[in-house]
Parts: sequence; C-alpha cells; structure tokens
Amino acid sequence: MKILKGVISWFLLLLLGAFLIAPFAWMVFVSLHESKSAIPVMSKLVPEKAHWENYWTVLTMPNIPVARFFLNSILVSVIAVMGQLLISSLAAYAFARIPFRGSNFLFSLFLLSMMFAGVVTQIPVYLMMRSVGWLDTYLALIVPILSNSFSVFLLRQFFLQIPMELDEAARMDGATEWTVYWRVILPLSKAALATAAAFGFFGIWTDFFWPLIATNSMQMRTLEVGLSVFKNSYGGTNWPLQMTAAVIVLLPMLIVFLFAQRFFIKGVVVGSIK
Amino acid sequence: MKRQRTAWLFVAPATLHLLVFALIPIFASLYLSFFKWHILKPARPFVGIHNYSSTLVEPKFWNAMWNSTRYAIVSVPLGIIVALLVAVLVNQKLKGITVFRTIFYTPSITSGVATAMLWIYIYLPEHGLINSMLSALGKNNKTDFLNDPAWAMWALVFMSVWTGLGPRMVLFLAGIVGIPQTLYEAAELDGASMLRQFWSVTLPMLAPTTLFVLLTSTISAFQVFTPVYMMTKGGPLDTTDVIGYHIYWEAWSKFNVGMASAQTFLLLIVIAAIAAFQYRIMKNQLEGYSVA
Amino acid sequence: MKAWQWSLRTIAIGGCIAALAGCGEEGVLGTTVVLRVGNWGGAGDDNEFDRTLASIYRQFERENPGVKIMIEGVPDSQDYVRKTLLAYVANAEPDVIAIDASSSAIFIDNHIVRDLMPFVEADPDFNLSDYYPNVVDITRRGEAIHAIPMDFTPMVLYYNKAVFDKMQVPYPNWNWTRADFVETAKKLTKGEQFGFQFDSWMPGWIVWLWNGGGDVLSPDGKKAAGFLDSPDNISSVNFLRDLIVEAKVAPNLSQVAASGVNYFENNLTAMQISGHWSMVTLKAAKAIDLSKIDIAPIPNDQGDPKTVMYEMGYGIGKHAQHPDLAWKFIKYMTSYRVQSRYHTTGIAISARRDVSREKATTEIEKKFLKIIPTARGPWGSKVESYDIVEQLGQKMMDGVLKNGEDPASSLKSAAHEIDREFSKL
Repeated sequence: MKILKGVISWFLLLLLGAFLIAPFAWMVFVSLHESKSAIPVMSKLVPEKAHWENYWTVLTMPNIPVARFFLNSILVSVIAVMGQLLISSLAAYAFARIPFRGSNFLFSLFLLSMMFAGVVTQIPVYLMMRSVGWLDTYLALIVPILSNSFSVFLLRQFFLQIPMELDEAARMDGATEWTVYWRVILPLSKAALATAAAFGFFGIWTDFFWPLIATNSMQMRTLEVGLSVFKNSYGGTNWPLQMTAAVIVLLPMLIVFLFAQRFFIKGVVVGSIK
Repeated sequence: MKRQRTAWLFVAPATLHLLVFALIPIFASLYLSFFKWHILKPARPFVGIHNYSSTLVEPKFWNAMWNSTRYAIVSVPLGIIVALLVAVLVNQKLKGITVFRTIFYTPSITSGVATAMLWIYIYLPEHGLINSMLSALGKNNKTDFLNDPAWAMWALVFMSVWTGLGPRMVLFLAGIVGIPQTLYEAAELDGASMLRQFWSVTLPMLAPTTLFVLLTSTISAFQVFTPVYMMTKGGPLDTTDVIGYHIYWEAWSKFNVGMASAQTFLLLIVIAAIAAFQYRIMKNQLEGYSVA
Repeated sequence: MKAWQWSLRTIAIGGCIAALAGCGEEGVLGTTVVLRVGNWGGAGDDNEFDRTLASIYRQFERENPGVKIMIEGVPDSQDYVRKTLLAYVANAEPDVIAIDASSSAIFIDNHIVRDLMPFVEADPDFNLSDYYPNVVDITRRGEAIHAIPMDFTPMVLYYNKAVFDKMQVPYPNWNWTRADFVETAKKLTKGEQFGFQFDSWMPGWIVWLWNGGGDVLSPDGKKAAGFLDSPDNISSVNFLRDLIVEAKVAPNLSQVAASGVNYFENNLTAMQISGHWSMVTLKAAKAIDLSKIDIAPIPNDQGDPKTVMYEMGYGIGKHAQHPDLAWKFIKYMTSYRVQSRYHTTGIAISARRDVSREKATTEIEKKFLKIIPTARGPWGSKVESYDIVEQLGQKMMDGVLKNGEDPASSLKSAAHEIDREFSKL
C-alpha cells in the first residue's frame, strides 16, 4: 500500500515536473537555432550545431542597452525590496505587538488596499509622478513600491506567533520599543523576512505595466520592458533570437531563485499564514 | 500612552505610503472621472456623470467586463484546485521533494514578457509545441489558438494556471503544514480513509488560506494585463479584450484620462463587490481565524 | 555583522546611488552630452542598413566630441507614436523625434515638435530649397515647418522575376486590372508557393481600398460612416478575402505566422505590397537575387492607379534638453554627404533633389519615380486622431481574414465605432 502510494506520487511528480519544465527546455533549444531560421519541427528540435552566438548578438545589440536594463532592474528591485522590508516590518511589528487605538481599522485599510493595486491606481499615480517631475527617473520606479501591504500582512502573521514573553522580558531590562523590534523580533524572523523579500523581489523584477508607462527613455527601461522590444521587433520572423532574449530575461531570476529557494519555500511554510 | 505614540511612529511610514499611493489615488480617480480630459489637450471641462453614462452604454466596455469575468471564473477555481492538489502532493516526505517544489515554483518567477514569448510559440498553429505533440500522437491539428475566437481566452487561462501555480502552491503548503497532526491521528483512529481525511480535515482547516488565495487570485485575475498586451492585443474579435487591457487602451493609447478613470472606478466597485461576496460566503468557515 | 542588519544598512547606500542616478546623465557620465533620438525600429538585424546607420551616428559623435547619440527605437510604428506622445506628456520626449507623414498631424497640431523656421533662418549653411517643396510641405502649417524631411516612398507592388520566369508567367503590365492580377497570381500559385503575400497591415492595404474607388474617411476627415463602409470598400475587402479564401493565391495569415519566415524573401511568394524600405531586407535576403526584383503599380480597374506616399523627417521635441545640438544632428542627417551615403542602403528615396537625382540610375529606381505622381499623403498627415481609424480598421481586416467575419457588416460596425471614438474627442 505504502509502496503503491509512493510510486503513484513519484509518477505524478515527474509528470507534472515534465509539464512545467518542457516549455523551458524548448525555449533553450530554439534559442540555439540559427538566427532567422524557420521554426524547427519536433524531430529537429535539437539543433545540429548550437548557435551560441545568438546570445552574444542579443547582448550586444547596438540600440538596445541590455546591460543598462540589467542595472536598472537590479537597482530598482534591490532598493525597493529593502525599503519594503524596513517599512513593512515596522508597521507589522506595531500591528502585531503593540495594542494601540485604531489598530484594527488601520490594518483593515492595508488589507483592503491589496485590491487597489495596479490598474486601479495607475492614472492618479502617473499624474502625481508627473507633477513632481519624477517620471522617467528611478524615483518613479522605486517610490511607489517602497511599501507593500502584502508584506505587512505576511510579517504581522509571523510576528504574532513569537511569544509575547520575549518582549516583556526585554522591556523589563529597560529595552525601548525600537530595541525590541531590532534586537529581538527581527533576528527571530529571518525566514519571514526572506519570504517577504523574495515575494517582493519576484513581483518587482517581473513587473511590466508600471515601468512601461512610468519610463520613456531607453536608459531608464527595466529588463522586462526593454526586452519586450525583441518580441515586437521580429513580428514572428526570428524565433531563435526572440527565445534567446527570453532566456536572457529569465536566467538571472532563475539563478537567484535557485540560491534562495530552500530558504524561501521553507520560510513560507514555517511562517505559515495561519 | 508612550507606547501608543511609538506604535503610530512605527506604522507612520507605511501608512503615509498607503495614503499617498493607494487611498488618495482612489479619490483622485473618482475626481478625474467627472472631467473630459484628453491628456494632450489643455482643456479639461467638467462633464458630470457623462463618462459613466457613456461607458455604461458602451458595448465594448461590457464586452471587456464579460471577458474579465469569464477569465476569472475559470482561471481562479482551476488555478486553486490544481495548486491545492499539487500542495498535497509535495507535502509528502519523499526524497528530493524540495527539488520538485522548486521546479513547480519556477514558472511563477518567470518574467511575464519571456513567458508570453514562450507561450506564443507553444500555441503556434503548425509547429507550436501543442500541435507538434498532437501530431506526434497521430492527431493532425492546426488550431491557431491565439487567433481563434473560440480558443484565445482559454489559451490565456491555461497559461495562467501554469504561471500562477507557484505562490498558490506555497501558500497551501504552508496551510497544510500548519494543521495540527493530532487531528489526523484522531481521524485515523476513527478509521477515516485518506480521501476522507482530506475531505473532513485538510479542506476545512485550509479555509482561511483558501479565502486568502481566492481573494488575491480573483483580484489579480480582474487586473490581468501583460499576457494580453503581449500575446493577443485583445483580439481576436475582442474576445480577450479584458478590462485591464481595455482601460490601458483608453488611458494610454487614446489618452482619454477622464473616461479611463470612470472605467477604473467602475472596475473598483466590481472588485470590491466580488471580494465582499466571497468573504461572506467563506465567513462561516473562518471560525478561529484572526484577520485582525 | 548580522545579515538583516547588513541588508537594512544597504538601504542607505542604495538610496545614495538612487539619488546620484536621479541627477541625470551628466552626473554619471561626466561631461558627456546624450542626444536622444526617437525613431521606430527595434532590435537590429545586422544588415547593411543597420551598419551604415550606426556608422553615420558614430561619425557624428566623432565630429562632436563629448556627444553621445542614444537611439530610442520602438518596433511598431503605431506603438512608436503612442510611446512618444506619452513621453511628451511626461515632459521626457527625445530631443530629436522621427516623424512619419502617416502620423505627423498629432505631433504638429499639439505642438509636440517645435517650429523649425527659427533654426532654418538663423543657419546660413542650411538651404530649405535643397529639398522637394511638396515633401517639406507635409509638415508645414502656415509659415511654420515642423520637420526636415529625410526621405519618402510610395507603396508599390513588388514582384520577383525569378518566380515569374520559373513559372513562365508574363510580368505585370503597367496598366493592369484586378482581374489581370488574380489571373497572374493564380498562375504563380503551385504547391508551397503562392502568387501573392497579403500583409495584414493597414498602412499597406489601404491602397487596395483607394484603387477600388473607396476611402476610409469623408474628405474633411471627420466621419467614417458612409465612407469606410461604402459599396466600393465592401467589394475591395471581399476581393482581398477571396484572394486568400476563394482563389487561395495568397497564404492565410496563420500559415504565414506558423512558418516563422518572410515568404517573399524566401521565394515562396511572387508578389507583395510594400515601400522602398523592403529593398533593405531584400538585399540582405540570401534567397533573393536583387536583379530579379521589380515593381509595378497597384492593380486598378479604371486605368488610374493610386497609391499612398509615406515620408519621414526629423523634428525637435518641445521639451528637448539640447535643441541646438538636435538641430545640428538634423542638419547632419539631411546633408548631402550623409544622405548620399544613407541612400545607398535602399531605405527610401532621398528628400534632397541632388541625392535622389543621383540615385535614380537603375531601372527600378526610375520606376519608383514614375509612380510618385500617383501617390498622395496619408490621412495621418491631416487627421490628428487617425490612429483610431488604423486600430479599428486593422481589427476589421483581422476579423474578416482570420475569423471569417462578413466584410459588409464588419466595415459597417468599424465605421460606426470610429465615429463613436471621434465623438469622444
């Protein structure tokens, strides 16, 4: 019985894994075909000769500063994630560990605001950025995402699970609220912080809509928006280079993820939102 | 008293941010929706509820709302069921299970642009992955999925299950891990089968997680934009012109900011109504769950 | 130091970087001045045109030390217009803006590009009379002109003599009718090979409507109903659909998409409609013998072929950071020495009289010049919101060709929708 269950599980896992991985494998194979060649049929999917130079071609496109896109994406996501962690964890700490008047009301506002993201606030936020002259600068890319209601929610849930006695003991020793937050709670919440950071990072790195409208010059484009140029450039007549561009956008995320994943998935599971 | 002040200091940055980038924009949207404003033109006359009345009689707006609704109605439950089953699957203590968890999460970290390019290819009529597979199985199929009005929307839905699996799976996994083992032991003593245990222990205990996933998935389903922008541009025959894309088009292509704001506000009302409805339905099962 | 403390501390450092970067390019790149040039076009193709253009830019940089040219390309021409307009709204449009006649009205009538007359008058080295006056006039409003023209091209019918010869089909006659065209296309269709490639792109297929006696808007450009859905247009759209659906002399659109290659460039179709720019890709296409490529007018049953003329020029953005440098660049790009080099690539016909005369040595170039008098400017050079017409017109055509919609009712509802959008403005 137990063996049967194991076999079925393995079978399902492998099947699902193949289903999820196949498109990626396909993408890599196509990216190695000769530029401008026709779409390969299934039997000729693996190219006779791997055209690695496609990667070089894409990375050195004269009018498309891919390196700059990378820099922009890294800068924006690192700063914004750090900001989110600080600002959200402060708020989450107060919501979880200090009873204060208006706490419930305020927290429900945060919950509600998860509905307002993106499409609903785009126009006013755009106009606001315009009136302060931040459009097409890093400020427009970073400031609107410096705090994140989802992180507040996630961190609060985690902080709630830490025994209150710890704070009280620290406070007995004369610790201030800041000290408790910085020296007691945060060190205990590394997994939750990592989780919030990972969610934040994935969200920012793959965001397309806001960078699309908030930036204009080539120098300010993020990787995601910058490389969408490839899709439109070839209008379906150069699949190998398109797939090369897709692999290039994807690879950094994949590497970060593979490094962070153990910490990350564990973090979510341990700091479960009950 | 001092703690009160400290608490407010702690929440101040986040609250200020919330105010400026979420709450004020809502009211600003409402305000803008009463003006006729083409963003390239200096004139900005007050038109009262004209933007609403003309939106409400516009068939294309209702078409977009309907498209978003059918996108959400299929993609959300489908995505949730798949994610829940996968979560149960990867909750087992098997060797190398973390590898699978990682693999299953990978599509979700994939950039929307890369995903779109990839899936356009997958859906190509002749040598696309799906049609190639089918012909390998002996079925000669040439459906041009993204250009066929009968298929395009479902092609996007199917893709969303693939891309959305990761976070949902992880949230469910977290929920499952949080269920006290004693409940299962008790059920086992009563002689409940595996299926029975899943039905009467796992599912009810996951109600809070499910609500959370349901709400966030529904909200984002109503705002879906990137795949439509990259893959179908709302076509064929407006069958994938979802509301998020429709508003983008009104605001950033036709530059009718007032009109787009009115549509935005209508969307907000719809989202809020659906969220409230879902919350009500699930409320009974939420005993013991501390939202606030 | 603990990891979380380290991370929080990097916020401070990150903030400094952001502040630095926020100061703008000068702050980072020292004394370099970046001149932003907006144009359509995207990822390069590494063909002769791309290489020539790049070396023309590099030469400008060499002649102007401390200047760096940043080309900001948007692949799709309609997307290019929208993005540039949005950039203008953000006060961040490029210094130099490429303007195509097909969408010039919205730039000019909203004063997004400056009047260049002050620059022209202040510059003794620049001579407006070097350029064809009717081409200059495309962006003229009264005394003001808004772009210096680079080049222009009519839309023509390209045909590949190699395929004609192989099938032993006579070449197109200069006065051919639609019936002649269908007859020719049928003879050229065999197996994988098609007589004609229909590109579903409105700036290209609008010439079919014109040659069928119809148009998309009323003469004042304010109304579509009664024009776009006219009986003439219905029969033209029916005609186009039948090429693909009935006569099957053109591949259907999903066949083209599925192949992932350009049919004409691979000898898979014998005819296509395009502008002069196709010479660039045809030159680069390995399968094509350029000497076998020729052009003809669009088929017309009245013996009065018509076509549309696209034109491209450079203007200066209203919020340009470096207007004087922008002018210098425009002057450079439209100068004799650059134009005579630029137009070796085959991109279009130079707007300079001297250069275009020099280049008109080959048969095909002479034919282009012969077609020019039958060409008129696109609607977008007169009607500001023509973008709406192109969006909805294209949707109509896609519906007919990809989804089998009825031409008459599709044209009618497109006309109705266009008028509805016009009324919102």
